Amino acid sequence: MNKIQLIHTLPNVFQNRTDIVSDIWNQDVTFEKGKMYLVEANSGTGKSSLCSYIYGYRHDYQGKILFDGEDISGYTVAKWTNIRKKHFALLWQELRMFPELTAWENVEIKNKLTGYQKKKQILEWFDMLGITDKLNAKMGKMSFGQQQRVALIRSLCQPFDFLFVDEPISHLDDTNAEIMGRIMTAEAQKQGAGIIATSIGKHINLAYEKVFNL
Amino acid sequence: MKLVWKLLRQHISIPQFVGFFFANLVGVVIILLGVQFYNDYKALDQEDSFMKADYLIVNKKIGALSGLTGSSNTFSKAEIEELEDEDFVERIGAFTPSSYSVKARFDVEGFVNFSTEMFFESVPDEFVDVKSDAWDYQEGSDEIPIILPKNYLDLYNFGYAQGKGLPKLSEGILGAMKLNIQIAGNGNSDSFDGRIVGFSSRLNTILVPEKFMRWANEQYADGNATKEPTRLIMEVNNPTDDRITSYLQDRDYETDEDKLDASKTTFILRVIVSIVMIVGVVISILSIYILMLSVFLLVQKNSSKLENLLLIGYSPAKVSFPYQALTVGLNVLVLILAVAVMLVVRNIYLAMFENFFPDLEVPGIIPALCVGVVLLIIVSIFNIIAVHGKVMSIWRRKE
Repeated sequence: MNKIQLIHTLPNVFQNRTDIVSDIWNQDVTFEKGKMYLVEANSGTGKSSLCSYIYGYRHDYQGKILFDGEDISGYTVAKWTNIRKKHFALLWQELRMFPELTAWENVEIKNKLTGYQKKKQILEWFDMLGITDKLNAKMGKMSFGQQQRVALIRSLCQPFDFLFVDEPISHLDDTNAEIMGRIMTAEAQKQGAGIIATSIGKHINLAYEKVFNL
Repeated sequence: MKLVWKLLRQHISIPQFVGFFFANLVGVVIILLGVQFYNDYKALDQEDSFMKADYLIVNKKIGALSGLTGSSNTFSKAEIEELEDEDFVERIGAFTPSSYSVKARFDVEGFVNFSTEMFFESVPDEFVDVKSDAWDYQEGSDEIPIILPKNYLDLYNFGYAQGKGLPKLSEGILGAMKLNIQIAGNGNSDSFDGRIVGFSSRLNTILVPEKFMRWANEQYADGNATKEPTRLIMEVNNPTDDRITSYLQDRDYETDEDKLDASKTTFILRVIVSIVMIVGVVISILSIYILMLSVFLLVQKNSSKLENLLLIGYSPAKVSFPYQALTVGLNVLVLILAVAVMLVVRNIYLAMFENFFPDLEVPGIIPALCVGVVLLIIVSIFNIIAVHGKVMSIWRRKE
């Protein structure tokens, strides 16, 4: 997939508001593969909604969203499953990890599905992010910042055209944020993929093509 | 899949599944035993494979006077029609007697050699339960299929052969032998081979196919051949119906009374078995309801895990699979155990049967197994669809 287009897209909850000033809502916006974008927003402006719409998780919007010119509103379950497995990687703001499993198992459950990353690569990322000692720790017992790092590793365990990261460094120190940025950029470049990051203030430092104000 | 199972088995309630398991086991055992017992019982009951139990044979009483006054003991057309109109009668047929002379000779190399005058009768073919090709007469052929009364065989075996020290004959041996039959009348005389297709304990007559009888009556009967029948055969829808007895009594008709009792027993047994099986079905349905409730509860409790799995790229089918496998696996386990229990119980009651019927040949357990497997398939399909539906509702975020 090369192109994501939003055409006059607007969350249904905003439809009666006239005071919306946004670079994205109710505009024509295009995200291209291979480029990096930052979406800056105040809380409550629909940043997570945007990710959910593009990820096929929610459909409560008006206007259109097109993937390579194709309207996604008619996509089947099988098509969405395929997109989530092979085209879009998403790091959720709320992480969506499994607290019953260990850090390693949380990554493995995704990589078993896609069979994409080598064990060596995954262990290297754990090492780079300084959480190798947490490999066999239960996710539920780890801090949010540690979980955020595991979640990033999990999101990279698949082929993707776009990587969405929803507030990826909200609980990270600058050093780790910097390492995370390097890992993301390297993997995206390797795959020729685009990155769309969101933030409410503290944002991850990448070579952004364009910055949108939501 | 191991990790997915590790995740999704959280919150599984063992007591609920054990409850389902035993409840469903009881239900399935009852259903299978019902089917099996009914089949086994039918084997006991069906000493006569040529006639179903709910056929009745009706004739008029021959009183002291009727012989003298010459009053007819045949059924008139009107009488047959009247009987046919009764709503306890499903269908009715007449016995057609032969209007020619029949002589039979039976030779068994040096042992037995007897020859006798006899007669033939026929009933409509639909009342005779023999494979159609065995009970077929081709015009011009000199082979006639014959059903003999079992009494004849008993008379020979326990009277004649016993007294003269001759070998006893089984039905199978006789079936392989030919009867030499001489038919004469209307100036014609021909020789035929009689092939014994079986012995009937219900019919006290020598039965030939309707087709042969029609042809032979035309060929060999002298003059006014169409006679009124003296006996009728009828199928009734409910042999326990009191109206049958009172109707027959009112008109001075007779029937093979004890057979009426036997068919009553069969009928009542069929009703009882049906009731028991319905109870089994109800227990099974309730237990499957428990299973579905506990699976739904499980899905509910694990809904956030299921949702996250769907969001990281697992398809609904993959996510549903562990629960589907769990339910189907339980169903298979129940069926296997139920069949085992059924076999044990069956051995107990067959041992009791054998005291009464030493040379009992019981049917296999295939019908009961088929019922079990069909139930398993239906229930499993239902389970699979229900679980998938539940997962899809998580996909659509309708929870």
